[in-house]
Amino acid sequence: MASIAFNNVTKRFGDTIAVNNLSFEIADSEFFCLFGPPLSGKTTILKLILGLEKPDDGEILIDGRPVNHVSPARRNVAMVFQNLALFPHMSAEQNVRFPLAERRMDESHIASRVADVAAKLHIGHILHKSPAQLSGGERQRVAIARALVRDPVAYLMDDPISALDARLREETRVELKRIQNELGRTMVYVTHDQEEAMSVADRIAVLEAGSIRQIGAPSEIYDNPHSSYVARMLGAPAMNLLELDKGRASALEGALPLSGLAVPDGAAQIGIRPEDLLVGPALAAGQGLVRVYEVEPLGGVTVVTLQAGETSLRAMVRGQPKIDPDSQVSLSVAAGQACFFAGDGQAVRI
Amino acid sequence: MTVAALDTRTEAMEHEDARDSRKLGFWLTLPAQLLVLFIAVFPILMQVYISLTDWSPLDGIDWWQAHQLWNTFANYTDLLEDNRFWSALGRTALVMAICVPCEFLLGLGLAILFVDNFPGRRFLYSVLLVPMMVVPAVAGYMFFMLFQSGGPVNDILSFFTGSPVRIAWLSDPDLALFAVIVSDIWQWTPLMFLILLAGLVGVPEDQLRAATLLGASWTTRFITIVLPRMKTIIIIALAIRVIENFKVFDNFYIMTGGGPGVATETISIYIYKVTQQELIWGYVAAVALVILITLSVVSAYAIKRMSRSRELSR
Amino acid sequence: MTAIHLENLSKSFGAFTALKGMNLDIADGEFVALLGPSGCGKSTTMNMISGLLEPSEGSIRFGERDMRGVPMGRRGVGFVFQNYAIFTHMSVYDNLAYGLKATGVAKAERDRRVKDMAEFLHLTPMLNKPSAGLSVNILQRLAIGRSAIMEPAIFLLDEPLSNVDAAFRAVMRTELKHLQRQFRQTMVYVTHDQLEAMTMADRIAVMDHGKLLQVGTPIDVYNNPSNVFVAGFLGSPGMNLLKGMIVRTDLGMRADLGDAGLSAPLSSAQEKSVSDGQAIVYGFRPEHCQLTGDDGIRLPVTFVERIGARTILHLGNKGASIKGVFDNDVVARSGEIVTLSIDHANIRLFDAGSGDAIVEAR
Repeated sequence: MASIAFNNVTKRFGDTIAVNNLSFEIADSEFFCLFGPPLSGKTTILKLILGLEKPDDGEILIDGRPVNHVSPARRNVAMVFQNLALFPHMSAEQNVRFPLAERRMDESHIASRVADVAAKLHIGHILHKSPAQLSGGERQRVAIARALVRDPVAYLMDDPISALDARLREETRVELKRIQNELGRTMVYVTHDQEEAMSVADRIAVLEAGSIRQIGAPSEIYDNPHSSYVARMLGAPAMNLLELDKGRASALEGALPLSGLAVPDGAAQIGIRPEDLLVGPALAAGQGLVRVYEVEPLGGVTVVTLQAGETSLRAMVRGQPKIDPDSQVSLSVAAGQACFFAGDGQAVRI
Repeated sequence: MTVAALDTRTEAMEHEDARDSRKLGFWLTLPAQLLVLFIAVFPILMQVYISLTDWSPLDGIDWWQAHQLWNTFANYTDLLEDNRFWSALGRTALVMAICVPCEFLLGLGLAILFVDNFPGRRFLYSVLLVPMMVVPAVAGYMFFMLFQSGGPVNDILSFFTGSPVRIAWLSDPDLALFAVIVSDIWQWTPLMFLILLAGLVGVPEDQLRAATLLGASWTTRFITIVLPRMKTIIIIALAIRVIENFKVFDNFYIMTGGGPGVATETISIYIYKVTQQELIWGYVAAVALVILITLSVVSAYAIKRMSRSRELSR
Repeated sequence: MTAIHLENLSKSFGAFTALKGMNLDIADGEFVALLGPSGCGKSTTMNMISGLLEPSEGSIRFGERDMRGVPMGRRGVGFVFQNYAIFTHMSVYDNLAYGLKATGVAKAERDRRVKDMAEFLHLTPMLNKPSAGLSVNILQRLAIGRSAIMEPAIFLLDEPLSNVDAAFRAVMRTELKHLQRQFRQTMVYVTHDQLEAMTMADRIAVMDHGKLLQVGTPIDVYNNPSNVFVAGFLGSPGMNLLKGMIVRTDLGMRADLGDAGLSAPLSSAQEKSVSDGQAIVYGFRPEHCQLTGDDGIRLPVTFVERIGARTILHLGNKGASIKGVFDNDVVARSGEIVTLSIDHANIRLFDAGSGDAIVEAR
């Protein structure tokens, strides 16, 4: 069990800076999620923790000890790869045994460790099968079992469930969370899927171009983004951003009444989550209206795309309301549910 | 301050690390490098040396004393005027110009047939590969027997024409060349087939389907999708056969001994004869060097083309 | 533009039946999604429409024309492959021009149509670039353009978004839908992702194990699934399905749901369509759960998953496991036992044996 800390760590590949002067700390037994678009430095951070890359600058500590010069094998950190990298010619059990057998551990010890891990991951009944005979989710668990069997202080996962189909992903992420809870080990998890990040993480680090833009609990980041970049990274559909001009949403020409909202000084943009953008019937006289461009009923919720000039907005409405494409509707913002950003994208508050 | 100092030290240490590991690498690979140098470079240097002399084992001096018979470039100027050499070289080129395209087309045709499944495919496939596994000398002997004037080839021709055929295949200059070429094509078409089949199987199925759905005929698909996708493997196959064909010896020598006269004398047979029969080794060394350089140029070109097309397909 | 009629369509490979007795009429200009897990027969169906496979039984008609024996190059079908099957050894231009060239369209005409298509799909800046190494959204557009330029009557798309990562899929989905609107061709779209099917298709055809289970508009299929498979497959999360048995109590008929306890009394319409002791599956959507009830399903909260705008409560475990979707202000903690109330109108009953929906008596 271990904490992991980065102190001013920088990593360059030639001219590109993959990780830029990063400092953060992952607490012991925390489920920590690195989240960002491709090439934002997520995987490089994993490799730095694992010891596959050396930092150009700064220091990495595992459990308070500097590990810059400690070889990957001695860091006792396990990794589950994106493609799982199971050995296809071995049974699930042989795969799980592999890290221990490689270390010439005695047979009784290996057997008890494998049984132990298999029980935790509920894979006892499939150990005799070969990876090809396993389902996506089962393969997933075997790969995790192989990573856990040597009792690492922390485990790292690089987008491990992105290859599974949607339904299985939903189930597996909850399963991963449960496993991590029970094992109580530090987990560093890389993903580019915002829903997955919010579902599993104790804390998320939102990355952009090798820097951390915000770090915190999922709900904290979702409710209180520090910048418009972070605001748009979490949530699907993404937060609506509208330019403000003298306290009015200029693109909407008065179709969006902001009178009930206190607009802080220096706010150049207002951000409204789709679920906080309320769509109403075209009743109120004098209020501007917007055109419904598209209605996507998803069953439990309905996503309504609205068009006002060049600006398009998305609202998410619970249930299956009767809204027709090309009809005119009025808009309002749920009380107290708007974010404001300055011209540079940083959040501003009253 | 402390941090900066610490950083400098780390950097210096890492620099040292890298230099150390490079040095270590050099010493560890040194024996292997020396061995390679000895195996590859030494014989060539020795050849260059001898090719500049008149040395022959009959001279009674050891090869390293050959400088006593130094003749500078006389061997090379002789070579320019050696008609037998040039005609052997020309004949080798001719054999190549007939064999390689025939093997290529036959191999490609067979590969196209074999890419789809049909009953008996596996059996025919292994039968087709047999010629490749026959020792060339044995193949030479087989064809020597086949093309005897009382041999099976004439018997079959007699059967079809209805009158006895007694063609002296191996003693007529033109027919002898034809016979040896047939033996070469028989033996090496399977290799071509094997390589091209591997290439053909590797053409993405989806792209062929996409082309079909866009209305492309079989021929169009073959020209626009299959051939471009197989370019690399075709170049490899052709390069292998060109290089191998240049060195053809066994079956030719056994069937005709290079004759009648010099009618089937390829460059390898020529070198063999000059070495073994005339024993003018300084001259042979010059001939061998010229061929080595020619072949190196051809293969270097092929390798360059291959690496370029690999880059393109990436 | 052509309607597609599949009649009693079947396909077997040796002893394995990939598709059995499929009947489906796709209207001219309609966007139909074939939805199902891998191995459900959706790709087999599509391959038969394209002409890659010949049906073992049944017929395919485009409009009035029977397609039996018509080779795939002559069907006038545009096909977008899962991996797009771009000719990577050619330029973008040559990819677009491929079909026109192969069918002998004159150079001037070809050039004009390629340029128009490139303009339409915003591919003009990269027309002369090699197609290898382009980003996926450009490859998707190129694949669509390459087929569309032949002006096919029918467009078939085989899971074109499955190789695209999650964050980008929404963008691609929108783009694809807009293209369909502009082309107005009959489109058949194969996918295993219910979200793609729900958001894009005019109608969804849900398939499993080589059988067509239900066809309808997304909302219709979502609200009134014809059997348990469809119920569980659509939605995120899918419908909660609890096995149980109908029992008669003082307060009317209820469902005994094992570990989840007794359900609230059934509606009178539901009562009429079931009988005492009947084995049923009790289904309801996660978003229809409320925590206000005092009579009904009681289960412990095992995990609270907050995802942005909504909170998913995972309730119960192995024996009876369900999910509820709530707003973020829901008050519930792990370990707490909650009682669910579900409006009668939102409860769906299925026969436990056949899995088919039990139609409510009127």
